[in-house]
Amino acid sequence: MKGNGGKGQKIGFILILILCILLLDGCWGKREVEQLAPLIGVGIDLGQKPDTFLITEQYALPKKGGATASDVEGWTYSYEVSSAREINEMSSKILNLVPFMGSLKVIVVSEDVAKAGFNDILDFAHRFSEFRRSLYLVLAKGKAQDLLNLKLRKGELPAKFIKSNIETGDTISAFPKVRLGHYLTVLGRKSTAPILPVVESIKSGDEGIEYKAEGEDGVQELRIQGAGVLRGDRLVDLLTDEETKGYMWLENNVIHRLINTVGIGESTVNFSGQVLNSKTKYKVKSNNGTIELQYQIKTSITVDEVLGLKKQLSEPEWLELMKEAEKIFAKVIEKECELSIKKERELGLDFLGIGRHIEQKNPAYWKTVKDQWEEKVSDSPVSLDVQVTIHHSGMSSSSATTN
Amino acid sequence: MERISPHQFMTLGAAVLMGTTFLPVASTVTGAGGRDGWMSVLPAFALGIPYGLMVLSLSAQYPNKNLLQISETLFGKWIGKIIGVMYISIAGYFAGLLLGQCGDIYERSIMPLTPIGVFYFGGLFLVLYLVSSGIEVFARFTEVIFPLIVIALALNISLSIPRIEQGELMPILSEGLKPLFWGGLKIAPFAMEYILFLVGILNFLPTGKQDHGQLKKGVWRAVLFVGILNTLVTLMQILVFGPSETIRLLYGLLVLGKMVEISRTVAGVESIFLGVWLGALVIKVSALFFMVTWGLETVINLKGLIWDLAVCVVFMGIAFGFVRGHSLIREIGLVDDYLILPFTSVWILTLWGVSRWKQGAGAS
Repeated sequence: MKGNGGKGQKIGFILILILCILLLDGCWGKREVEQLAPLIGVGIDLGQKPDTFLITEQYALPKKGGATASDVEGWTYSYEVSSAREINEMSSKILNLVPFMGSLKVIVVSEDVAKAGFNDILDFAHRFSEFRRSLYLVLAKGKAQDLLNLKLRKGELPAKFIKSNIETGDTISAFPKVRLGHYLTVLGRKSTAPILPVVESIKSGDEGIEYKAEGEDGVQELRIQGAGVLRGDRLVDLLTDEETKGYMWLENNVIHRLINTVGIGESTVNFSGQVLNSKTKYKVKSNNGTIELQYQIKTSITVDEVLGLKKQLSEPEWLELMKEAEKIFAKVIEKECELSIKKERELGLDFLGIGRHIEQKNPAYWKTVKDQWEEKVSDSPVSLDVQVTIHHSGMSSSSATTN
Repeated sequence: MERISPHQFMTLGAAVLMGTTFLPVASTVTGAGGRDGWMSVLPAFALGIPYGLMVLSLSAQYPNKNLLQISETLFGKWIGKIIGVMYISIAGYFAGLLLGQCGDIYERSIMPLTPIGVFYFGGLFLVLYLVSSGIEVFARFTEVIFPLIVIALALNISLSIPRIEQGELMPILSEGLKPLFWGGLKIAPFAMEYILFLVGILNFLPTGKQDHGQLKKGVWRAVLFVGILNTLVTLMQILVFGPSETIRLLYGLLVLGKMVEISRTVAGVESIFLGVWLGALVIKVSALFFMVTWGLETVINLKGLIWDLAVCVVFMGIAFGFVRGHSLIREIGLVDDYLILPFTSVWILTLWGVSRWKQGAGAS
């Protein structure tokens, strides 16, 4: 038949094709969009019974008659289950829709679950093909269920809010963005401790934030601030806002940052500004036989605010002031970094990935210390070299003065 | 007899060599060679160049004969027949396993509820149609499909750049060169699969002197192109997932495809990639099907649609025998490492050596 193709055989092929068309009236397991319930957020808490989890699922469906495509109505359900797969069965029973995992954007892990370890319950999220490794992982201060059930003042679904807050986080670079894939990659490094950003609910009046609240408890806002440090999949401690910011500098994660010098040094003049770009490089140096990691941070900043300047300055004086500002900004950055390094030493956990930097730059030395790294991390020498360049000071020089 | 042009030979060779190697390559080579494993991909593929040139030199020496016929001439009828039976068995068994992989990939990733037999049947139907249409149509099919496969790969690699993790590739060569050898050993069977295909296709190649030079160039180009592409695939997976995750992920490239997002609006494009890659699988299984039919024709003089259908039944039987995905993947690895690599590397080298020796003896 090769090449010539007998007539009978061609008819045979055509018959098979017709048969296929007649028999295959659709895809197996096909699901119409209207039958799907897109899952956007999952919260994981500890269950009441032993070895169970309280899993909260947040679904979002386009609102019927909504003005825009982003008008969604959300449903949030919680189930006590012993495995993540079990939730599908429970939610299918209530929803009359098929849960769709491919749209999941955020997994919120509660503090209690994180302390107990959560790799097992997370296994479904990276084994089942519908999920994407690009979804975000966050740590909840308190219960994840409470966060996902929160009625935000803007009417946004909490999972959607967390996702968009993370994605716009580059403007302040104050907390790490951790996708599931990144978390798994860091776990694979073994010497580095994973880190997750912390989400918390805030009341009016908390830490200087005030808003007109409705409802009894007055909790109507969420905030991402700080981070949790894990040993493997278990939460060990939380980092403060400043420690987390230090981590961001040291991990070369700062894209933009709003920064001010209030409370730093003895200068009566203070500055605030925005980081335009920042780059952190790593240098491993041998210092009298000891291996030291040096962080070299180069940052460009614009001065957006000058506080406490009482007189008009001449041009040379202004230049001098800006040089001074560069030094003070560098001190702010150094302080944040030092806090982070101090925390790493206290915990004895290498969330800054110092070991990985040493391994990359000096693999021969790394081989001699890697097995005792957790003991060595507390006194591993680290130094900082921060260089700040002020690009400009906005639309004016000097300041408006009262005299 | 049908003949294909040197350009078709190059494209067909590249497509067969590529097959679906881009799916397991990163996991396999990183598992064996660690973080530096990616460096052994190109050298291991390049092993196909000397072997390919040996096959072409034998073809020039014995025109219009495939290597099975040449084996009978040089080693004697029975040894030649034994080699032929081994050739048919390895190609047939491996084709059945790859057909099974077609079901495994789709069931695992995007169509979990579709009966696995549908993938086997659908894939095999395309294969049978191509094989029945002859080598020239098959070559033209690859000329159309192969560029699409390459474009899909290039898009998958380039769109994954934003997901790169800092420093996952470093340190380079911290464990020395030894892991590269182990990594290369795992990849070398891919090149040998291509050589097995060359063994049979010789009868369909142009025989002019100028053509011979172009065929040699075709081998070089196909091997280097596929080697470089697979190196990039491996490199990107290590850069994004890190070595530990690259080893753990069964089809890392599909996972990369799932992570592609363009401007937060386009996502889930892995299904498009998978659609194109079905073409790669069909090309590979078709090539193996051709090898079986060439073998049957040469060794036991069996040809015609009835035998093609019989081969299809065998393929389906093998595929259905390996519906357990984990066993299937293990079996593919075992066939590659313990059958294809030793059989091809020893056979071709010995055949070439004996031919040179006889040529030398004849001349003296």
